[in-house]
Amino acid sequence: MSVFDFFQKKKTAPVARERLQLLLAHERISPGSDLVSILREEILAVIAKHVEIEGDRLQIRIDRGENVSILEIDVEIPAKAARAA
Amino acid sequence: MLTEARSIRIKGRSFLAVVLTPDLPFEDWLVRLDDLAARSAGFFLGRPVVLDVSELSLDRAALKAMVAALGERGVRVMGIEGARPSQLDASMPPGMVGGRPAADVEMPAADGQAEAQKPSKAQPAEVREAAAPVVRAAPSSLVLHEPVRSGQSIVFPEGDVTVIGSIASGAEVIAGGSIHVYGALRGRALAGSIGNSAARIFCRKLEAELLAIDGIYKTADDLPAELRGQAAQLWLENDAIMASRLT
Amino acid sequence: MGKVIVVTSGKGGVGKTTSTAALGAALAQRNEKVVVVDFDVGLRNLDLVMGAERRVVYDMINVIQGDAKLTQALIRDKRLETLFLLPASQTRDKDCLTEEGVERVIGELKKHFDWVICDSPAGIERGATLAMRHADIAVVVTNPEVSSVRDSDRIIGLLDAKTEKAERGERIEKHLLLTRYDVTRAERGDMLKVDDVLEILSIPLLGIIPESMDVLRASNLGAPVTLADQNSAPAKAYFEAVRRLNGEVLPVSIPGEKRGLFGKIFGRRAA
Repeated sequence: MSVFDFFQKKKTAPVARERLQLLLAHERISPGSDLVSILREEILAVIAKHVEIEGDRLQIRIDRGENVSILEIDVEIPAKAARAA
Repeated sequence: MLTEARSIRIKGRSFLAVVLTPDLPFEDWLVRLDDLAARSAGFFLGRPVVLDVSELSLDRAALKAMVAALGERGVRVMGIEGARPSQLDASMPPGMVGGRPAADVEMPAADGQAEAQKPSKAQPAEVREAAAPVVRAAPSSLVLHEPVRSGQSIVFPEGDVTVIGSIASGAEVIAGGSIHVYGALRGRALAGSIGNSAARIFCRKLEAELLAIDGIYKTADDLPAELRGQAAQLWLENDAIMASRLT
Repeated sequence: MGKVIVVTSGKGGVGKTTSTAALGAALAQRNEKVVVVDFDVGLRNLDLVMGAERRVVYDMINVIQGDAKLTQALIRDKRLETLFLLPASQTRDKDCLTEEGVERVIGELKKHFDWVICDSPAGIERGATLAMRHADIAVVVTNPEVSSVRDSDRIIGLLDAKTEKAERGERIEKHLLLTRYDVTRAERGDMLKVDDVLEILSIPLLGIIPESMDVLRASNLGAPVTLADQNSAPAKAYFEAVRRLNGEVLPVSIPGEKRGLFGKIFGRRAA
């Protein structure tokens, strides 16, 4: 298997350019104001208010795209975990 | 041989200094110093002492007082290490930088008789006279079984240093005796560092950055071109470094 | 218990990150469980070379400071399921790396992985010394060029002084990886010879990686070269290097010297 099979006729520089543009667009936003990161922190805080969970039960994945970024939060909530308000 | 225009001779010379590192409160430290001096009369007489104040925060007045207090006890401070320029003035000993650690100086035993002997050879203990406090160690040697890497500094004032391997560019070996390199000498070799003009330097491949014997220096540029890359030995003759091929 | 490898060099730009990714992917293709760890705080690059730059959530400093667990910070490679990445922080600096924190993280990684490969930053300061601290094996990446060789020598000296193994009086296994070997320059006699570098550095040779466009193309695409193009010359050299890391004795082939006896006799004549 070789990635180059797919990119046989294509040059790799344009791929690199696209990746960099995307990456730097995200990194140039001053630290902390990346929307996806803010959402992540706030969502975690909300979850913590209602459910007591261990750190291991929480998985977060991010895929920052050009037009769309995907934030995946996986929480295992034990059946009897609802916190007393 | 080209003749050179006469100019003043400037040489380098290495001395092994005793470093005193006082701690505070100073009065308590002075008491301990007096105790030491009482046990080994005349240890500091005529011996150049360097004062290390890098761990202390003192103002100029306090530092001056410290030097004076030591002077009253016969301890002559030749230089001060670790002081900021603002702490020193023209009437005080000069600031010193670039000191390299050497073996700790052994204090003679309280009864003034046998002084500390280095363990490598059995020698009759020298009886030290109170009036001539020169500490002489039995000759010993250091053998290194690995190359000396760039940035490393090997200091061994007690005797010869033998390296089974090379001395890399950017490394240095400082020995009280001779230096033997069973490999390439690419860094700096300083032999006879405590005042031994009979010291020699031997190597399998001469590519040194700097050489010195008893404080007399020669840099890479001044080494004879035909010896570069060859096995060579260097020695001192009439204050000049001589070199010849080793066959 | 896994083995910790540090990929270090002293000099910058010689191929540490490229080699970390290539060796990691090569080991993972043998079904070993591998994690590659980026120690270059503030200037992270391993995520870029691995093609994971869009998926970085938490980094090593988050783990050290307790903001996240190790399992949350680890990014699994999409192509090789036994290959993981622990990224470095891009916004903090090296002072956030603590000795205890690094010790804890490496200790935990050793329990779950067969190989923990630490990509060291350039230089000899904190980041580099922390990256080497817990290593069992060191891969010293060197270009056949004078500054690189001298810097590698310096780093070898530090490996024998600043690692835990050295402090315990043990020897850390050191290997030389000669990278960016340019065949044309070697034939013209414009490049330091392999033998010269070996004589100066005095450590065993792990492999010689030829200078090649394949490395650049792989990095453009965001894949380790041993994944992007397994048949390329650099990839083959990395695969051989991995076999040597596993104890196999393979003669090191010098790139470009493939011509046999006839090649040597006839090789330089005009075609």
